[in-house]
Amino acid sequence: MEEFIEKFQEAVDFQDPVEVTENTVLLDLPEWDSLAALGVIVMFDIEYGKTITGDHLLKSKTIKDLFELTVA
Amino acid sequence: MALATLKNVRFAGMATCVPRRILSNINDCPPSLRSERERLVRNIGIETRRICQEWQCLSDLAYDAANRLIDQLGWKKEDIDGLIVVTQSPDYLIPSTAIILQDRLGLEHTTIAYDVNLGCSGYPFGLHLLGSLIATGSVRKGLLVVGDKSATIKDPLFSDAGTVTALEFRENSNPWFFDLNSDGSGFKAIMLPVGGHRNPVKFFHLIPSEDEHGILHLPTDLILDGTAVLSFSTQRVPPAVEKTLAYANKKIDEIDYFLFHQANKMINETIRKKLRLPEERVPSTLKEFGNTSGASIPVTITARLREKLTEGSKQLLLGGFGIGLSWGTAIIKVEEACLPELIEA
Repeated sequence: MEEFIEKFQEAVDFQDPVEVTENTVLLDLPEWDSLAALGVIVMFDIEYGKTITGDHLLKSKTIKDLFELTVA
Repeated sequence: MALATLKNVRFAGMATCVPRRILSNINDCPPSLRSERERLVRNIGIETRRICQEWQCLSDLAYDAANRLIDQLGWKKEDIDGLIVVTQSPDYLIPSTAIILQDRLGLEHTTIAYDVNLGCSGYPFGLHLLGSLIATGSVRKGLLVVGDKSATIKDPLFSDAGTVTALEFRENSNPWFFDLNSDGSGFKAIMLPVGGHRNPVKFFHLIPSEDEHGILHLPTDLILDGTAVLSFSTQRVPPAVEKTLAYANKKIDEIDYFLFHQANKMINETIRKKLRLPEERVPSTLKEFGNTSGASIPVTITARLREKLTEGSKQLLLGGFGIGLSWGTAIIKVEEACLPELIEA
């Protein structure tokens, strides 16, 4: 999970870094926007060889929900 | 049939013209947007863009590029009998810009001239179309204009450019290989929703709304679904490249340069990494020229490969993808081509 959060932080590339845990709600992140979503889609593709869509992201509430997509 | 081979077509030369006016994505944006914009620029990789003057059209850029190219090639205008314009920013909705350009350029009435409505994917499709006319003997020497006027001050992605490629009939030239595809189920991913016959402009479409940064938006503005476009590009392009290589019976190492449509850094880097291509063989012009729609492959050839292609012979793989949705790959050999320096107008 730690490694996933590190990759997530890199992918979303927030201008003002914030602390993220597995329970963090994506919509609570001030800079969680379409650009961050694109970063996460690319991260899944390159780092995990997984194809996810905007729909997957909309259905994921927390970081943990996202992480579960890597093993789905 | 998506896969095709063309024989007896030679890439004689190519010229690129961009507007003189330069916009900086960071310095020219409202101060309230600055921090957000810095993050955006880091990720899309576009620092500056070229934008036409209000009066300047794609055809004006193409006119300058065509005259320079014809002059440097030493072609006679009366020998040119084909002019295809691939654009989504014609001078008028009708008639075809290609026909207007035929007259402006002083080409003969016997010229085949018409427009093709394609955007970011347009270059391989244009090469295939004009190349086919040449391969069948319908055209001996032809010009392919590819480009758009799509830059706006508020949108950080698009940049303007006009390019002209000269193709001619040459027996026993190296064959060109193509893989061309379309998927209209994704037509809403990038579109101008208003202004065509399905949804004509009405009075209320001209009333802008203001966002939190004071930027005005109109219902007639371009719609772009970022996640859909990213997914489409990164899922469709790498397998299409592999399919074209297999069809042409070529290995990745036999291609000197891979030139992809310059969409944005996230998309282009994902495509490059998925295909495991080294950076030095995948030239990019996003930083200075942004996303110039269908012109981005020619812009990158002029800006990055001009000297290399003038001197020797190079095997190129060209990958266009975008609005439609539409994606095409071409493998062509370019030998001793005439490539004028970048033109600014």
